[in-house]
Amino acid sequence: MANVGWDEVNDAALLNPFENSMQDLVNTAQSDRDYSLFSSFSASTASWRVVKPIYNSDVCIHCQNCWVYCPDSAILSEEKKMQGIDYDHCKGCGICADVCPTNPKSLIMYEEATVEDSALASWPEKKKKEKKA
Amino acid sequence: MSKEYVLKEVEFWDGAMASSQALRQAEVDIMAAYPITPSTPIIQNYADYLSNGYVDGEYIRTESEHAAMSACVAASAAGARVTTATSSQGFALMIEVLYQASGMRLPVVLNVANRALAAPLNVNGDHSDLYLGRDAGWINLCTFNQQEVYDMTLMSFKIGEHKNVRLPVMVHQDGFICSHTAQNVAPLQDDVARKFVGDFEAVDSLLDFARPVTYGAQTEEDWHFEHKAKQHKAIMDSINVIEDTFEEFEKLTGRKYNAVESYMMEDAEIAIVALGTTIESSIEAARQLREEGIKVGIVAPRVFRPFPYDKIADALKNVKAIGILDRSSPGGALGMLFNEVTAAIYTNDTKPVINNYIYGLGGRDTTIADLKQIAKEIQANADAGKLTTPVQQFSGLRGPKLSFFDMESSK
Amino acid sequence: MLEIRWHSRAGQGAVTGAKGLGDIVSDTGKQVQAFAFYGSAKRGAAMSAYNRIDDKPILNHEKFMIPDYVLVLDPALAFIGNITANEKEDTKYIITTHLSKKELLEKLPNLDEKRVYTLDCMKISQETIGRAIPNTPMLGALMKVSGMFEIDYFKNAIIKVLSKFPQKIVDANLKAIQRAYEEVV
Repeated sequence: MANVGWDEVNDAALLNPFENSMQDLVNTAQSDRDYSLFSSFSASTASWRVVKPIYNSDVCIHCQNCWVYCPDSAILSEEKKMQGIDYDHCKGCGICADVCPTNPKSLIMYEEATVEDSALASWPEKKKKEKKA
Repeated sequence: MSKEYVLKEVEFWDGAMASSQALRQAEVDIMAAYPITPSTPIIQNYADYLSNGYVDGEYIRTESEHAAMSACVAASAAGARVTTATSSQGFALMIEVLYQASGMRLPVVLNVANRALAAPLNVNGDHSDLYLGRDAGWINLCTFNQQEVYDMTLMSFKIGEHKNVRLPVMVHQDGFICSHTAQNVAPLQDDVARKFVGDFEAVDSLLDFARPVTYGAQTEEDWHFEHKAKQHKAIMDSINVIEDTFEEFEKLTGRKYNAVESYMMEDAEIAIVALGTTIESSIEAARQLREEGIKVGIVAPRVFRPFPYDKIADALKNVKAIGILDRSSPGGALGMLFNEVTAAIYTNDTKPVINNYIYGLGGRDTTIADLKQIAKEIQANADAGKLTTPVQQFSGLRGPKLSFFDMESSK
Repeated sequence: MLEIRWHSRAGQGAVTGAKGLGDIVSDTGKQVQAFAFYGSAKRGAAMSAYNRIDDKPILNHEKFMIPDYVLVLDPALAFIGNITANEKEDTKYIITTHLSKKELLEKLPNLDEKRVYTLDCMKISQETIGRAIPNTPMLGALMKVSGMFEIDYFKNAIIKVLSKFPQKIVDANLKAIQRAYEEVV
């Protein structure tokens, strides 16, 4: 966002996340929302990442745990179905992978440079419960 | 719909009643308060009107003045016409949130019944709290009697809520000397007052779900300065709306108000500058002194913030000597009013002799005799063309004369 | 300018009396002021209240007063209060006391030679209103001594001031005012 002068800043340092009025906000997908420059949606935290989550839809049970816990609203979900990761806003904290309850996990943290297809190709097997001696 | 309250042409009201009646007529939606002497009856009266159906609103009892102003900030941001009242220690506790209200450009109205600050504990009137809040970014309107309390409280909503202003407004009255003293007040009838104040129009309401808004954003060195500059510009420019509102009010009532009030200044040789009920007592003293041939006039900022620098300079351009009276313990400086008024006069070609009086702390009676004595000292300065007294003197104080900066004898 | 100083105990109704009088006077087109000396005093502590009445707006906000009338609501305050402070030659004193004026002046020789009027507002209020609230009878006495208003006009006017009270209380107050008007000497 441009560093405008005092005469151009808005009153009271108010932040309006949308350019215009948003009717039916809840049922409008993020991608269809008219975000303003003042919305943090307009800024990217992608470069903050050292590791990134990779999502495996074959294992996912759509429990929405990752969507609830993500501190940056970077889990894309529609109609309570997990859609993937918003890599513009994911900062790579790893919370989603941590709270994922499936076995094997549906979200696993990889090096930022990892190619998604190769990660999915070598996804870990289901861990067997270790029998107690 | 609230019941109409039929008022007499002339009511006999104390300052607290005058402000609470104005709050009732302004149809305040929310009063959030933690009552403190001497502002208590303002709140009590409003709660009474509410309970008896004379106003549609809500009274929120908070656990402190800090919480009271916080509730006001939230309710105002939500889109309500909001008010509270306080004094002294309560005002001091509100201070942090006063800056939030002005920074968020919320047109909260705060009636202040001015009272001394402890320690030592004192419930009576001086201007310590008024001075404490002077940099908080609020419009400050000053009153010198009960009628003005009523008039300014009504106007405060119209001023603060104006689309070009959107700033909180304080209306000051002297604790007890005005707040608990009853005098003749000519109010407007409810329909006339309501029409004058107008309906509240919410701006950037927190409850507008179609256009959500964040209040209280963090701005560091990259944005803070620009936002504070814009806020300052807004309060400086508010003088235009204030003067327009005064004019509109005059058309309605015949009562004329000015950013800077001048009394008997046309031919004045010396002037007293002060705030509060002391203005009226000074007029009384001046009338008596004029019979003795002392031509004293009185100047007072009606609008204390934004400070009418140019109009103060203009009002005082023809006098030879000025006494500036501060009703607050200055804590190691010249009085604040002295400093600000003297700065305003500095650009004038005339160089009047100016001195400072600290008086009336903790409600100490300011008598006509005290004010006449002060005027006579100012006259002596005018006659000598230089200070005949130290710059700062305490008036009405027991014990040996207390004064500072004896400039002439130190030469 | 007419100036009145009330000497009372907190709770005896001096402020209400001063404000009630102001209410009635303001209806006549005159300018009036009513205030009191407050501290953190509790019920029973000595206090004073004040009225100023004038034809032109009252600008004087000093507490200092050279009274035309001094109204003493509490019998003991004539003895322990400084009721003659800042008096002038023709200041009139209306003092509530169970003593006759002669007995009072014998005990308070400093009031001799002054314009002193007495009545027992305590007894009157207790016998009419049923409580020791001496403010309205004192106003009845003031009407007699000052001639400020005809007593019937005053009684009619105070009905409005007392409008928030039940009719029984209003009637009792009117009775107290009339008795005080007749009994003050």
